Amino acid sequence: MADNGRAPAVSARGVVKSFGRMKVLDDLTVDIPRGVTYCLLGPNGSGKTTFIRAVVGLLKLDGGDLQVLDQPVSQVQEIYSRIGYMTQHKALYPDLTLQENLEFFAGLYSIEKQEREKRITELLEMVNLLEHRHRLAGDLSGGMYQRLSLACTLIHEPELLLLDEPTVGVDPRLRQTFWEYFDRLTAEGKTVLITTHLMDEAEKCKIVGYMRAGRMTAVGSPDEIKRLAGLRPHLELWLKDPEKDAARLRAQGYEIEIDKGVVQLRLESHDQIKSVLEEVTPLDMRLKEPTLEQAFLQLSEAA
Amino acid sequence: MIRVDWQVDLRRIGVVALRVVRQLKRDRRTIGLITFAPILLMILFGYALSGDMSGVTLGLVDGGGHSIMKSHLEGIKDFNILYLGSESDAEKLVSQGLLNGAVVLEPHEVRVLLDSTSIQIANTILAAAQAGAEEEMASSLQKASLQSQGPQKQPGGQPSLIVTRYLFGYDLEMMDTVGPAILGLVVFFFTFINASIAFIRERSQGTLEKFMVSPLSRIEMVSGYVLGFSFFTLLQSTTTLLVVTFGFGVPMRGNPLTALAIVLLLGAGALVLGSFFSNFARSEFQVVQFIPLIITPQIVLCGVWWPLQSVPEFIRPISYILPLTYAGDALRAVMLKGASVTDILYPDLFALGVFFLVFFSAATLMLRREVG
Repeated sequence: MADNGRAPAVSARGVVKSFGRMKVLDDLTVDIPRGVTYCLLGPNGSGKTTFIRAVVGLLKLDGGDLQVLDQPVSQVQEIYSRIGYMTQHKALYPDLTLQENLEFFAGLYSIEKQEREKRITELLEMVNLLEHRHRLAGDLSGGMYQRLSLACTLIHEPELLLLDEPTVGVDPRLRQTFWEYFDRLTAEGKTVLITTHLMDEAEKCKIVGYMRAGRMTAVGSPDEIKRLAGLRPHLELWLKDPEKDAARLRAQGYEIEIDKGVVQLRLESHDQIKSVLEEVTPLDMRLKEPTLEQAFLQLSEAA
Repeated sequence: MIRVDWQVDLRRIGVVALRVVRQLKRDRRTIGLITFAPILLMILFGYALSGDMSGVTLGLVDGGGHSIMKSHLEGIKDFNILYLGSESDAEKLVSQGLLNGAVVLEPHEVRVLLDSTSIQIANTILAAAQAGAEEEMASSLQKASLQSQGPQKQPGGQPSLIVTRYLFGYDLEMMDTVGPAILGLVVFFFTFINASIAFIRERSQGTLEKFMVSPLSRIEMVSGYVLGFSFFTLLQSTTTLLVVTFGFGVPMRGNPLTALAIVLLLGAGALVLGSFFSNFARSEFQVVQFIPLIITPQIVLCGVWWPLQSVPEFIRPISYILPLTYAGDALRAVMLKGASVTDILYPDLFALGVFFLVFFSAATLMLRREVG
């Protein structure tokens, strides 16, 4: 992990938060290392947004210990200039232009004029809104609004970015640009914590934390999560004599199913492909990777 | 997490103020309202409440004598006089609502029949009858003094002539006395509504939550709003002052800058009050529902349209905590009596200052409490 031996960007130990009788964070323990994109995945109401709000100090915790950039969360306001927080609400002024919105947020972080202009241009370029800089934010489409909101969150170059569903309504190509930008940020040692429902996004994260009912039920790289859910890659083989070859492979200890004449072989690791090919010579073959979505469904059902 | 932040960075206050100005500047409808509402209110309150009546239908039963009073009543151009034969006719017509009232003149008595379901009209008729009686009395006194060959002696048993001496405002009309209050009222009303809605929006569009996670402190935020709105209060009060003084001829005997200072202080109070009350509303719609609760008592109890003395004693303490009471008083003192800042320092400016500070603190504290 890219934490360079430093303490995690966010460290939660037994964090508890209830709203009335409902326990939204239930003994939540998690470490978010520095310099990675970390994805919080989980069904609606699993506590993802509550956790992010707790990290930025917007909630009074009922118990547990929470450290943010080496600060106890009770003093997190002292490091607000190092945190970027994008809510699901977008948090922009529709009656200001894009430029004015960015100027305003830059002003809150006391960014000097020259530097401010440079960053505004750079960010508008990144979110592909440079040509619209003098339009009113209220005239933008949903996706454009989202992009502007992200730009406003990034204006002060935060060390820890907390993004609550940042890519809703953003088209796939631009989403790719976002991810490239996030990679650039993590390469600079910054930490990006994202909540998302989009599996393909979670796949791009270095670490995925799967939350359920206020707890972290699985943490790891997307591959690790899939393994944890008991999912493995499958090799589909088209063979001359499926029954005979399947029996041979079974004898080698492989888990095999035959579906409409196609042999489905479960791989424990990708290294096994080579030894499978030493046993049989397929007419055709295809590698089927499990998706995070399958893992997600599997974990939900298991719980 | 509860955080106490006393830090104040003037630049950040300026950043918030600039944003507020930019937003309001784009809101053409509000700018239009700010400019035209005072004119409309002047017309409504100024003319409607001017106390002048026209189209009053008065019955007159002439039973002899009182020729002076009779000609006085006939001389009132806003009265339509209907001559009647008997008091019972008059009574009938008044009870049918065909007459607003009637005056029965008899050699030894004058009886005034009134329909007090419309108290203002009744008062107007009564006042006219009394004025006629005064005129009659003055004329008989004059005769009496001529007969006794000397003005220095008053004939025994004769009632003395009432002499009214106006210390201020002898030449004022209703418009003049309500003008300063309208200035205060429009500023209070619009600032309160605009500020509450602005704060509601900060909440609903998520910007408030974003501020909470930025170096901007609550004090800076509310101060920025006060500063930003002050530009518009200044614009609005200047227009209103111009309309009130040049358009409607209300005198400006004191320093206009003192009047503006009062209005600015009142506007700042309205802003923090709006910010405070926005905590209790979830939508712009609910803010509008505050109007009867917050604005109407100020109009009714501020002592401009109905004097504080006419407010029942158990309600009067409310009058004394409402800012418009003090602003109205101070503005009238400056505009109509030519009072200086030192004249209105206590209680008016003091009370407005205390009101601002109390709700400034309440508004900032409530912003903090909002965080769960």
